[in-house]
Amino acid sequence: MPGAKKGPTAAARPRRDVLASLRMASMEDISRAALPAEIVSSILDYVGPVDLIRAARSCKLMHEMAYDDTRWVHKLKRIGCWDEADARKHAEVVFGTVANMEAVEKQEEAELGEGPVPAITVGDDPSNDLKGISDGFDKIELVNAASQPDMFQDLLDEPVLSVLKQVRSIRGEARQEYGKIHAALAPFYEDIAQSGPSSENLVFTKYKDPLAQAQILAQLLMFSKSDMTQGWDKRVDRLERTVSMFETAALKEFRQGYEADDIDGNMRKYAHILWTLNGGQAAVDLFIHHNHLMTRKSDLGSVASCIDGSTGQVKMEQTQAFFTRLSVAFNDEISIMNRVFPPALDVSSTFMSKVGQDVLYPFLTAIFDELHRVNIKSYLTAISTTFVQCMNLSEALLPIRGSDAKFDEYLDNVVIKIYEPHLDLYLAEELDFFKKACESTVSEWDRHLSEQAASTESFLMSNVNRQADKRDFLTSFKKVIMMPVNILPSFSSAKSNEDSKSETETSSPNPLQPSKNTNRFSTLSSPAPVAVEEVPTTELAAKAAIMKTKMEGIRSLFSIEIALDLVHSAKSSLERAAQFVRLGGEYGHAAKQQCEAIFVALLRILGYQHVIVGFDKAVSHLSNYRPREQGDRDQSGVEPLVTFLELVNVGDLILQMMDVFYEQELIGMRLTDRNDFVDPANKEKKKFEQMLDERVAAGLNKGIDVLMEEVDYILATRQLATDFNPGVSSDPHRQTMDVGVSEVAIAVVDVVSSHTQMLVGSTDKSTLDVFNQEVGLRLFTALCKHLKRQRISVEGSLKLISDMNHYFKYIQTLRNNELLLYFTAFRELVQIYLIDPGHAKELATVIADADRFHGIWRVEEVYEFAERRADWYHVKRDVERAMYGIGCNVM
Amino acid sequence: MSSITLTSSDGVDISVERTTAERSVLIKNMLEDLGDSGEAIPIPNVNEAVLKKVIECDDDDNRRKTTDIDEWDQKFMQVDQEMLFEIILAANYLDIKALLDVGCKTVANMIKGKSPEEIRKTFNIQNDFTPEEEDQIRRENEWAEDR
Repeated sequence: MPGAKKGPTAAARPRRDVLASLRMASMEDISRAALPAEIVSSILDYVGPVDLIRAARSCKLMHEMAYDDTRWVHKLKRIGCWDEADARKHAEVVFGTVANMEAVEKQEEAELGEGPVPAITVGDDPSNDLKGISDGFDKIELVNAASQPDMFQDLLDEPVLSVLKQVRSIRGEARQEYGKIHAALAPFYEDIAQSGPSSENLVFTKYKDPLAQAQILAQLLMFSKSDMTQGWDKRVDRLERTVSMFETAALKEFRQGYEADDIDGNMRKYAHILWTLNGGQAAVDLFIHHNHLMTRKSDLGSVASCIDGSTGQVKMEQTQAFFTRLSVAFNDEISIMNRVFPPALDVSSTFMSKVGQDVLYPFLTAIFDELHRVNIKSYLTAISTTFVQCMNLSEALLPIRGSDAKFDEYLDNVVIKIYEPHLDLYLAEELDFFKKACESTVSEWDRHLSEQAASTESFLMSNVNRQADKRDFLTSFKKVIMMPVNILPSFSSAKSNEDSKSETETSSPNPLQPSKNTNRFSTLSSPAPVAVEEVPTTELAAKAAIMKTKMEGIRSLFSIEIALDLVHSAKSSLERAAQFVRLGGEYGHAAKQQCEAIFVALLRILGYQHVIVGFDKAVSHLSNYRPREQGDRDQSGVEPLVTFLELVNVGDLILQMMDVFYEQELIGMRLTDRNDFVDPANKEKKKFEQMLDERVAAGLNKGIDVLMEEVDYILATRQLATDFNPGVSSDPHRQTMDVGVSEVAIAVVDVVSSHTQMLVGSTDKSTLDVFNQEVGLRLFTALCKHLKRQRISVEGSLKLISDMNHYFKYIQTLRNNELLLYFTAFRELVQIYLIDPGHAKELATVIADADRFHGIWRVEEVYEFAERRADWYHVKRDVERAMYGIGCNVM
Repeated sequence: MSSITLTSSDGVDISVERTTAERSVLIKNMLEDLGDSGEAIPIPNVNEAVLKKVIECDDDDNRRKTTDIDEWDQKFMQVDQEMLFEIILAANYLDIKALLDVGCKTVANMIKGKSPEEIRKTFNIQNDFTPEEEDQIRRENEWAEDR
């Protein structure tokens, strides 16, 4: 408000009114404008500390503004020696927390008192005497000073050298603290600012020890940050040039020390000086840049020697040798670093990343690029192996002093940096490679199969072929057994358990179908002969023989050998990729995902393209099966069903294999969380199991149909009319009472039980129960039907009863109570045939007694059965009378 | 590029480009609130001479990051002290931060190396210290004495 000119009375205003304008009449210039206080305050922001103090002496308002603690705190903050937390703690110790109003008020009073009437008595030379300031806060301050790190133990007699370290963060005393710094450093600062860099600077003339010079210069660099007045940039520039001049000289000494191998002398001394000056980065850079490890890196090994030019294979011994030489050289350097550099100085991480970048990276990249061009498989192996070697390297290295905890972290970072550019490509290639390998294996096998199907006729029953086939099988089985031992060390124990388990399973159904092998060869002959190998004569051979029949049976549908192959390649892929999981973070996550993707791919290819297709084939084969049309009745088994049931066994084996694989590789190596139900690997596994179960269920359904057709067929064709009604026989010798089980019943039970037993152990219990129940019920229905077609005499009923007992015994083995009920009823039922025609009444009672049959038949149905008596027309009247007119009779 | 008219405290109309005028936060807000009606905007606290000087001011804000005053500003601020204070007051009133900063820096430069008495003269203030008090402050801050 330039218009409003006030008289000198304005000066009499209360001094506390900060916002009041500073309008005071000038004695000489009446028209002069005055500035409001807030503008004066912001002008003071741009005034240097010395001028600020002079301004403070001009009047009380100025004094208050200039003494404002925040102004000086700000300066200390710029220098970097104001600790806000410390200041707060101090304030709380002295004045209590904010919640304590009384204390706050006291504090305010104290501050008020400080302004106008300065109560602080200052020592003569605050910069040189820490205790010089007796302001009543000394007690707290002492603790503070004691906790200062004693980096400058030998120089503490010269407080100027560590003045910045001694600054205390106390509110209300920032000005005094700044004053100490200013007094200590300003002379050097001004000197340099005026004369520029030269060896005649006050710093260099006052202190002879280069370490002390470095300390002063380092402090000046920090101090210069608080210089904000006109021309600061030129002053700071001069200071920086002085520092760099000093640094260059020190570096020269350092380098000479390095070249002369004066590790504990000059090198160590100047490393510490440079560290004091500005963190010693220049010394570290120099050291690393001129490091012998870098300059002599070609001694460590060459790319060409690590790759076998003719085969494109990587030579692991060579890379390992490279890493060993590297670790030796590296350890040498580390021991030098430990001796030369101060522990707080972080040389190791820079050094390691430099080694990673300049030595490891070019070497590995060259190898990888070359291999990627030449041979994908060895590329994959090389990446994974060198990664492991890298990790091993980290264990061989000596820890750098003072950075033990972080050492591994650095190393991991370096390794990550090296592998980062390769990782994505590698993971993609790995999955791709695996998929391709699997698909080609499966399709190769499919092709074989179709070729062989076309030429089956020519091979039919050929003796040579069978011989070769056996041998082929044995070799492949040998592979199956041996492979885990050779290549999958960690997998082998589980695998062999798996195998032996399957053997015990197979051995049980085996004796039941002794004759089927020869026959099945005609339709299910195996691929072309392979190179003849030594047939193992050991235990292995015996095992193989046990498993043989089974393997042949499923050969045309899917092959356990293929499954093992796939699992094996999945395992190797997975193990390679899993190495990278320990990188953690993003890359570890990517690697993890890729591992799961491999597993999913394995399940998909093995499951959908191999096992499920096989199952589908078997099911369709089963549903197309017409035993009567084929007229091939020699064997005791229903062939496609047998095949299918074996298939179920093998499918189960594969499923268990997958399960072991999943447990060992994914869960065991912590790639997958078992409980994470959204995890793709878990989902895929569930799906696979579900698919398999569905196929098994569908196949079993079909299988039951076929089985029952067989049973019907046996019943219809082989049951003689004389079996249950010997009376009609024309055989004169029929007097011989045969109460044994009829041939048909034995045949039926054999057929059914041989098939149901095949399932035992290979499917889960509930499936088995359902299957058994279904088989039992269907058998029951078939028998009912069959019975209604027969004519049974009293004499023949004995045989029938034995038949029924035979069925009952069989059903008992299924351990299904519900099913047992039906057959118990059957046993009761056949007694109606045993009753003498004379006892029609009793017959009627039995027929009418529904409880007797556990409610399985109604009376009418039992009546129907009774009609099958050979002498029904004789007893019918009596029975009907007894049944319907029973009440009258008694009366 | 539209231009607007400002009326100074002594009643003189000054035409100025809108972008230039909007460097003043005060005018910018006013234009936003009132809309551009084409009427002259009265600036009651600033006279013609000062207003013209303010408008003349360079608008390159980027150069004002440092605490130093560049050449152009130095020339621009080569005015008598009264004018300088008027410009600072106008910049403060019109809320032109860059100009206010330059002004403050210029004043800060002016008092550099001056004795307390000279500072009093510059700011037109009276010494309300007793000699003892003033001496006390001097002793408190001996570090700031010239050696």
